[in-house]
Amino acid sequence: MTLSLLAILPIIVPLTAAAVALLLRRNFQLQAAWAFGAMLTAFAASAYLLWTVWSTGRPVVYQMGRWPAPFGISVVADLLSATMAVMVQLVFVFGFIYALGAKDKAVHHATFYPLFLCLVTGLTGGMLTGDIFNLFVMVELVVISGTVLTAMSDDRYGPEAAYKYFLISTVASFCLLFGVGCLYMSYGTLNMADLAARIAADQSPALLPAAVVFLAVTFMIKSAVVPFHFWQPDFHTASPTPVSAMLSSVVVKIGVYGFLRMTTLLMPHADWLRTMLIALGIVGIVFGGLAAAGTHNAKRMFAYSTLAQIGFIHVGVGWGTPLSLAAAILFTFNHALIKSTMLMLSGYLASRAPVKTASFGVLRGTGKYAPLAGVLFFIGGMALAGIPPTNGFISKLTLFQSGVQAAQGGDVNGTLTYWVPLLLLGVSSIITLVYVFRALMKIWWEPFKPDAPDAKVKPYGDSLLAPGLMIAACVALGIWAQPLLQLSQDASAWIRQPQAYVQAVLGEPMGWLK
Amino acid sequence: MEIIKSLSIGALFGIGLYQLLRRNVIRSAIGLVIISNAVNLFLLSIGAYDGVVEAYAKAVGQRSDALPQALILTAIVISLGGFAFVLALLYVIAARYRTGDSDEVKGLSH
Repeated sequence: MTLSLLAILPIIVPLTAAAVALLLRRNFQLQAAWAFGAMLTAFAASAYLLWTVWSTGRPVVYQMGRWPAPFGISVVADLLSATMAVMVQLVFVFGFIYALGAKDKAVHHATFYPLFLCLVTGLTGGMLTGDIFNLFVMVELVVISGTVLTAMSDDRYGPEAAYKYFLISTVASFCLLFGVGCLYMSYGTLNMADLAARIAADQSPALLPAAVVFLAVTFMIKSAVVPFHFWQPDFHTASPTPVSAMLSSVVVKIGVYGFLRMTTLLMPHADWLRTMLIALGIVGIVFGGLAAAGTHNAKRMFAYSTLAQIGFIHVGVGWGTPLSLAAAILFTFNHALIKSTMLMLSGYLASRAPVKTASFGVLRGTGKYAPLAGVLFFIGGMALAGIPPTNGFISKLTLFQSGVQAAQGGDVNGTLTYWVPLLLLGVSSIITLVYVFRALMKIWWEPFKPDAPDAKVKPYGDSLLAPGLMIAACVALGIWAQPLLQLSQDASAWIRQPQAYVQAVLGEPMGWLK
Repeated sequence: MEIIKSLSIGALFGIGLYQLLRRNVIRSAIGLVIISNAVNLFLLSIGAYDGVVEAYAKAVGQRSDALPQALILTAIVISLGGFAFVLALLYVIAARYRTGDSDEVKGLSH
């Protein structure tokens, strides 16, 4: 019993801490210390959870209020969920470190840390929950706390971006609710394991295709796939730096997680979904890369670059072979680290610039006063493009290997879906290099010529500790890649056996199921 | 009854979507509320399956599935909080941009 409680700790610790942090609003230092401590505790809990799940080889399942599985709410930590939870909380630990050293006014507001903790609660909860309605609740928690965090940004366009995000994301949440309703009407259950067993046994209900479409639309909007990406660049440009680093790296991953679960656990029968993911991924890679190369704002550039990287992850999910699923999980993990670092570096430069913005027009030449940030930006850019010895190289290499392997073993009809993304892997790396070097040239190469003659680069900005640590992690994961690769491969082997998941949640098969 | 129910859910969803796509930001917020009501009505109607009746049926001695009603309660609370916040957001936008036309609210367009 005590072991199963471990599954809920990464959710309950930040949620409780958020409530307590609101009570501490009068003393900002105490509140910040409390919130950071809670975040570290939650991260320790999720890391221990991952270690337990990985070493015992069994999912950790917690039934809320000890209601037996299909009736109560289950919290299920299988290897995929636990890996994703660790990814989210690791990035958030760095986000907290950045926020503690940030100069933004928004970060010093009394509601910042409670909301930040709510954001991590929603993300972790969404990835650990085994109940599809609970997924909706957690996703709404992410949407609302993300909206508020953006609306309180120092950027004067914060409310506009927040409004756009809220409008589109709420429509996505309503689609999720429609999908949940369709599934409940067809199968009379909300538990994901129970649903998986029932969908596998019987695909005749008329509302099942509708449910697949509604869920797919939801996760496409959440993961900012290209035709549904309109909220994403604005949102990332306007939000405070610690928040935008979290949004681009882990908030979009809830959609990726949803697709991983949909294609392996809930609806493995829907083959068209995988083909669609590959097609949308290809569009995303091309569009995201080209759009990133034409932007005038560093944060916006990385927001568009996320579209391309998410495209690769979707291609990996769409191929659906053991190695390509492992590559998708690895890519998800590595991209979360790289992208949040790059957004933090853009935010650092914005905090040093004469006017607080990440626009290239203002940043031009300011890099002369921030040489360390330049080194970090260069290494991060290499990781983004997939140049060794960084973790970006490992994820792209694994994806490439899986594609070649699948193409050789695959049928002749589907070869186009393999070779086009493989070609794009190379092309996209070149485009990534183009826009990263464009940014490097504008910020570090060109002379500093501000519009106003008395404009000066501020001597101090946000702390560089968090991006520095993350770049170190990126390089370390590129050189010592074996453990994470092994973890992704094991996670992909787990999610390809949905029966084990179902049995772990439901226990012994019940009489009325047969 | 079935046909009235389906038609009203469809009509509410259509009206909500139409309002959501209007250029006035206040209308789009109202569209969001109408869509949320369409979803709630849909959830209420899914309580009727496998021989159980809808919550609003008047048949005596028949039972309804209570779980969708719990789902609606949760969804109502969440959309209430979200809508209250969005009204505050609209107030800020209207004060800052001096317009309610979403074509004019475009500070981030480049």
